[in-house]
Amino acid sequence: MDCRDVRDLADSFLAEELMTETNHEMLRHLEGCHACRRELAERRSLREGVRRAFAGAASLDARPEFAAVLKARLRRAALDVPARRSIRHRGWWALAAALLLAATIGLVLRARDWTAMVTLAHAAVGDHRNCALQFRLTEKPIPLDEAAKRYGVVYRVLERLPPDDVRTAAGLAHVLERHACVYKGQRFAHVVLEYRGARVSMLVADSSSHGPSAGEGTIDAPGPIDGLSLVSFRTSGHVVLFTGEIAMGDLRVLADAVALPLRRGLSGI
Amino acid sequence: MVGKPAPEAADDAWAAFEAEALPHADRLFRLAMWLERDRAEAEDLVQETMMQALRSFHRFQPGTNCRAWLNAILQHVRSNRRRARNRAPLADEPFEHVGRTLAFVPPVPQVLTDEDLLGALARLPIVYQDVILLCDVEELTYREIAAALSIPLGTVMSRLHRGRALLRSELGAVSLPGRCRTHS
Repeated sequence: MDCRDVRDLADSFLAEELMTETNHEMLRHLEGCHACRRELAERRSLREGVRRAFAGAASLDARPEFAAVLKARLRRAALDVPARRSIRHRGWWALAAALLLAATIGLVLRARDWTAMVTLAHAAVGDHRNCALQFRLTEKPIPLDEAAKRYGVVYRVLERLPPDDVRTAAGLAHVLERHACVYKGQRFAHVVLEYRGARVSMLVADSSSHGPSAGEGTIDAPGPIDGLSLVSFRTSGHVVLFTGEIAMGDLRVLADAVALPLRRGLSGI
Repeated sequence: MVGKPAPEAADDAWAAFEAEALPHADRLFRLAMWLERDRAEAEDLVQETMMQALRSFHRFQPGTNCRAWLNAILQHVRSNRRRARNRAPLADEPFEHVGRTLAFVPPVPQVLTDEDLLGALARLPIVYQDVILLCDVEELTYREIAAALSIPLGTVMSRLHRGRALLRSELGAVSLPGRCRTHS
């Protein structure tokens, strides 16, 4: 590692964002380079200075009464009787919806295969919540190229599909992140998109153990899962699921826009 | 939760929110005040952020970074408010060329006042101010910043790199009398 590399990585080093190996290389270089140590010290001092100046700026102080007013308003909203009533009603509606959903599933689903598909759908929603929204997976996500080496070429395809910007009839979807991750034992290729003002996940899983659905390419919309919209389709031995806190119709539009290029990309794998 | 009398459940939920999220309101206000430059707007922004946080609090996982979570909500609310006011979305990479073509960056003076620092920060394009504040002041990780601003991780890193180079350039100009400072 040379001085130019150190200058390029200095900010990430100070933010503790470097991988362990790179960190060690930085430290080895800094041991022997006075100029880089001085540069790093200046940058550290600048960061601390910005933090201190921001914390101390009187012009950014809230009015003394603002905190109390805010707290009172929030407390009223939290303990408001109509809100409590709606929580109770929401509970009953949720229970009724769950019973109706369970009854519908019991009538329509073929036992084992469809149960597996529902399990996958719940895993997709859980992964979206815990990975895309909350960053709290037990196992750290890995880059797609690394996943491709370990688990198969499908992950390589998803490095470029869908493209970073997807035009749909409902507006533009923009890819924020791509990686491979695991939720409750289910491995997904995970593409996180910004779409219709919300964060949406596209998750791809191997379909060999997740039962039949409406058929190759047909988009299923089994209904909300744990409060989130979900649509899915199958292609070339994989299940592709889309989930997020947006209208089901908008999610279908996104799935429609992605389905054809994805089917082409995954065919032959 | 099922079977518990509603008033107790609501009290418990409020107590948890009050303990976990409310203490961050002051820091949120400081950030909102910087971004909005108007006290009434900043108070509105924080109030709307905290209301949204209260409604979504059942989704917050205790033990995770509440400040990062609140910052993400604040940025989301801010973005929606800008759209509602028909304001142009924040440009992706304004002055993108500046970070690469800074001809001469004078050394940062050893003695800098808080005014110098904040003045220089304020002169940066807002997209660079955003990432620098979230990283250096709010101490969010790169991933948390990416989530808060709904931008790719790579964009966070490149904006931080360029933003800090511009900041050093602005501060270097502090020590040079008669020199023109870059404008945001």
